[in-house]
Formats: sequence, C-alpha cells, structure tokens
Amino acid sequence: MAVSSSPLTAGSTRGPRKAGRRRTIGTGSWQGWLFVAPGLLGLILFVIAPLIGSLVLGFFNYSLIGGGTFTGFHNFVALVHDPLFLNSLVVTTIFVAVYTPLNILLSLSMALWLRTRLAGKAGLRVLFLIPALSPMVANAAVFRLILQQNGALNDALRMIGIGPIPWLSSGSWALTAIILVSLWQSFGYNMIVLSAGLDSISPDVIEAAKLDGAGSFRRLFSVTLPLLSPSVFFATVLTVIGSWQVFVQAYIITGGGPGQSTTTIVMYLYETAFSYDQLGYASAIAAALFVIIALTTLVQVWGQKKWVHYD
Amino acid sequence: MTSSVHERPNVATRIALTWRTTKSRRRRSRSWLMVLNTTGAWIVGAIFALPLIWTFFTALKPANEVFERNITFIGSQVLWSNFVDAWNEINFGRLLVNSLAIASISTFFTIVVCTLTAFAFSRLRFRGRDTVFILFVLTLTLPSEIAIIPLFLGFDTLQLTDTWVALILPGLFGAFGTFLLRQFMLQVPVELEEAARIDGASTLRILWSVVIPLVRPAISVLAIFAFLGSWNAFLWPLIILSTQSKWTIPLGLAGFSSMTGTQWQLLMAGCILTIIPTIIVVSLSQRQLVAAIGAGAFGGR
Repeated sequence: MAVSSSPLTAGSTRGPRKAGRRRTIGTGSWQGWLFVAPGLLGLILFVIAPLIGSLVLGFFNYSLIGGGTFTGFHNFVALVHDPLFLNSLVVTTIFVAVYTPLNILLSLSMALWLRTRLAGKAGLRVLFLIPALSPMVANAAVFRLILQQNGALNDALRMIGIGPIPWLSSGSWALTAIILVSLWQSFGYNMIVLSAGLDSISPDVIEAAKLDGAGSFRRLFSVTLPLLSPSVFFATVLTVIGSWQVFVQAYIITGGGPGQSTTTIVMYLYETAFSYDQLGYASAIAAALFVIIALTTLVQVWGQKKWVHYD
Repeated sequence: MTSSVHERPNVATRIALTWRTTKSRRRRSRSWLMVLNTTGAWIVGAIFALPLIWTFFTALKPANEVFERNITFIGSQVLWSNFVDAWNEINFGRLLVNSLAIASISTFFTIVVCTLTAFAFSRLRFRGRDTVFILFVLTLTLPSEIAIIPLFLGFDTLQLTDTWVALILPGLFGAFGTFLLRQFMLQVPVELEEAARIDGASTLRILWSVVIPLVRPAISVLAIFAFLGSWNAFLWPLIILSTQSKWTIPLGLAGFSSMTGTQWQLLMAGCILTIIPTIIVVSLSQRQLVAAIGAGAFGGR
C-alpha cells in the first residue's frame, strides 16, 4: 500500500460533507499511517492472510510430514460425501437451532425479571455473569462430574422419582447435556445485553401505553418487545456465530462421544488437522464453516426487516 | 452534552456515565410482593449457583466419597488439604504464573495496539483511512477457528511452535478493542487538542497527555476483557503449546481432567482455584463490565 509522503495532501482527500462531521486534527498524512501501522500489520498478518491461506489450503492435500500437492476441488467434493463431516454438520446444526432460541428466551426472561422490584439485583447479575467470564474448561469439568451416571444430577433427580438419565452414555442425552451446560454457562452474557436494551427504552412510551389502557401483557408484547427488537437481533446474530464454533464443552465433557454424537464441526476440524495431520482437508472444513457462518448471518440480516423495529 | 434524557446514549457515554455513577438510588418498598419476588429470584440464583457450590464441597471430600449415593455436601472429613494436593498435582503454581504472565503481556500489547489504531481512526486524517477502517469492520465477526491452520503452519515454518510468542501474537489484533476506544475518542472535544497543538504539543504528546487520560474508563474495560480473553483461551493454546511447563491454567486443567482414573476431588479443587480469579475480577469491576457488555462492545457468547 502506498503511503502518501506529502503532508500537503493531508485533509484534502476527504469529501467536504464527511470532513465536517468528524473532528480531526489537521496533521501530516504519514502520521496517521504510522499510528495505524502496528494494528493494520497485525490484522493483515494474523487475521486476513490466514483467512486467505485457509481458503487456498483447502485446494491442497497437505500434511506436516508429507508437504502439499494441489488437488483442486477434491477436498470439497470429498467433504460433501464424508459421513463424519455430515454428522458434525447435523450435530452442530441441532446445537445452534436448539441452543440459540433457548438462550435468547432465558436471557430475555431473566432480564425482564431483574427489572421488576426486587432486592439485590446487582448481586444476581454478577452471579449469572460469572460462568460466562470464567474459563470454559473449568465449567465443563464441573459438569463432567455432575453428569456422571452416579453423579449429583441423577442423585437429585432420583429424589423426585426421575431417572437415572444416561447423560453421557446416550447420544441424544449427551447432546442435550451439552446444550444445557452451554445455556447455564452463557445466558448471563445475553441477559446483560438485553438488560441494557431494556434500560434504553424510554419510560414515557411505556407510561403512554399504560394511560391508553394497555394491560401489562399488551405493554410487553406490543410496546416493550418491539422496542427491544434491535437488541434481541444483535444478541441473536452474535450467539448464532458463537454457537457454530462450539468446541470446548464437547471436548471436555464428552470427547465428542458417545460414538460421534457430540462431535461438532470445530471438533472434527481440530481432530482432522492435529490428530490425523490432514491440514488441507481440515482447511476445507474451515472454509465450509466460514461459508456457513457468513450465510446464516446474511440470512438474519435480510430477515430482520420482518421483525426488527428501528425508530 | 445536550442530549435529552431519554435519547439512547451511545457506547461511550453509557460506559462513562456508569463509571461515574457511584451511588445507586434505591427505593425501599417493603411490600410483601417485593419480598416474594426477591425470594423467588434468589432461589433461582441459588439453583444456578448449585453446580459451583457442589464443586466446592466436592473439593473438600475424601476421594472415596465423591460418588455417595445420597446427596451429602459434607463428607466424613473436611479435607482442606485437597486444595494443597490439587495445587501440587496439577502443578497449579506454575500454570498460574504462566497464565498471569501471558495474560498480562497480551493485555499490555492489546492496549498499545488498539490505542494507536483507534487514535488514528478517530483523530487523525490520512489518505485511505476509510478503506482501512472498513477492512477492520469486515473482520469483526470472523470466527478465529478459520485462521488456526495457516497460523499454525506459519509458526511451524518459523520454528516458533511451542513458544509464548506464537501463543500471544495472533490474539493481539482483534478489532473490537479498536472499536471501543475509537467510540470513546470520537467524544473527546477537538478544542482540547487544538489548544495543545497551539502550545506546540506533538501528535504523540496529544495522545498521551490529552486523549488517553480522557478515555481511561474505556481502556480499563478493554484491559479487563483482553485479560479474561487470554486467561480463558483454550483452542489456540491447545494447538500451539506442547511442553507442559509452558501451559496455561485451562490446558493444565484439561490435561488433568483427561487423565485416566481422574481424582475428582482434586479436579474440582483445581476448578475452584481457576474460577476464583474470575469471581474476584467480575465482582470488583461489575459496573464497568455490565456497561461494556450491555453496550455490545465485545460481541457475543
């Protein structure tokens, strides 16, 4: 990229409309580039180049020991026919489809509850936030113990006459367990996001609806929730992006099993690359994950017109 | 600021306001409804905390009582020595020092890089600024997993795998921190800088003496998140570090967890030791954290 060396050109390159809005110091152009250089260089070296590298590597048969040979679309064709990849795709899709709505529903309910009159709100907020900000490995290890066949959860359930549930030895229960642990761990984060959204709604609007005779249910569904929809949209988009990348919970609690029932896309990627040294094929998986995340994000951005209200 | 009371404040104002508000107003209403509501919410909170409480009590039990048939919180003996054993068995002291060092180095450089970049984006004019800024925007939602294989190969070529350099470097350039600081810096009145410039201050001097002191709340929040991000990281450390003496806490815990014949009471003690620092950080900085997360400054979970 060419760095402008003449200080005389500074400021003259910007359109007059924008220049009026942003307040900046009139300094030499080279100074701006100097300040931006470390961040930009890092971004190119450690974010953009690896991203392109990943897409390129997908076209190679590449291993640490054997080096690489160009194989064209072979990896991508193989991916579509790979039962293990398709399985990880199904597992992760179920996770995203079940976990995201439950997360939003739980965070929203708790955010609404914490707005009602009760003592110790700040304490509860901190409590719910702790697992979201502590190492996932520790959270997962805690649940690995609790979810054992003779663990505390089954003991508790037996007291009310349920179970024992094969949390870690049945495929569908294991995936359920991963979803529940993820909910426990992460909902506090979105609860804070949605609480902030609720705080920014003008009390006047709610008051006006009250004066017009709207009951509390009507106020919630016709006034509060539509006004909150931008925050819900924001939380949903980011939660979906994060959910596609689920890895640690499965890695620690189930190891991807029993069988392949909790092997997520990132876990399959990790094993393919670093247990089986198929780096080219794993890059094709990474590229597929990238496309999936980009597509689901775009679909949500298009779909938001139908339900997100910006005032 | 002249904004009306109910106008939705932007990220910077919201965090700044929360930072300054020290006394929260509480209306004391002693109606039974509120008592009931409070009780209900705290029961939910207690159920939510049960796994952690259980972990704590398990950590104090003798090994053969971890899987008692009936739920008992306190075993036949209360073994505080389990924490000492866990500390030695998992080599926790070493992991703690490593994690602290890595997280501190990461935090320091993240702040330096983000401050410089954010300053350029918010206060300096240069050709191509908007293009570069869009480049940053585009990387905001990129999942980091996509980059790991080329990154690994790059560091392998340079023979830097299994080093802290390779562990730390890729984590320093997230765009979220730059964004947060830029939002704040856009709020700094241009008059302050003009005055400093007339007095003959250099650009670097203006950044150091005028801008940075005014955006300190944002830098503190960024520091907390950079620290926690490094403290909690798992996938990249797992890939890049193979020598045990270089491991971080999550790696050590995972390694101990996967060992056959898991000593559960020691693993749980390790978990408690791991979570305690987070509890302290979250409790001490809850106002800033809640404001920053609420403002969407750090993406989702």
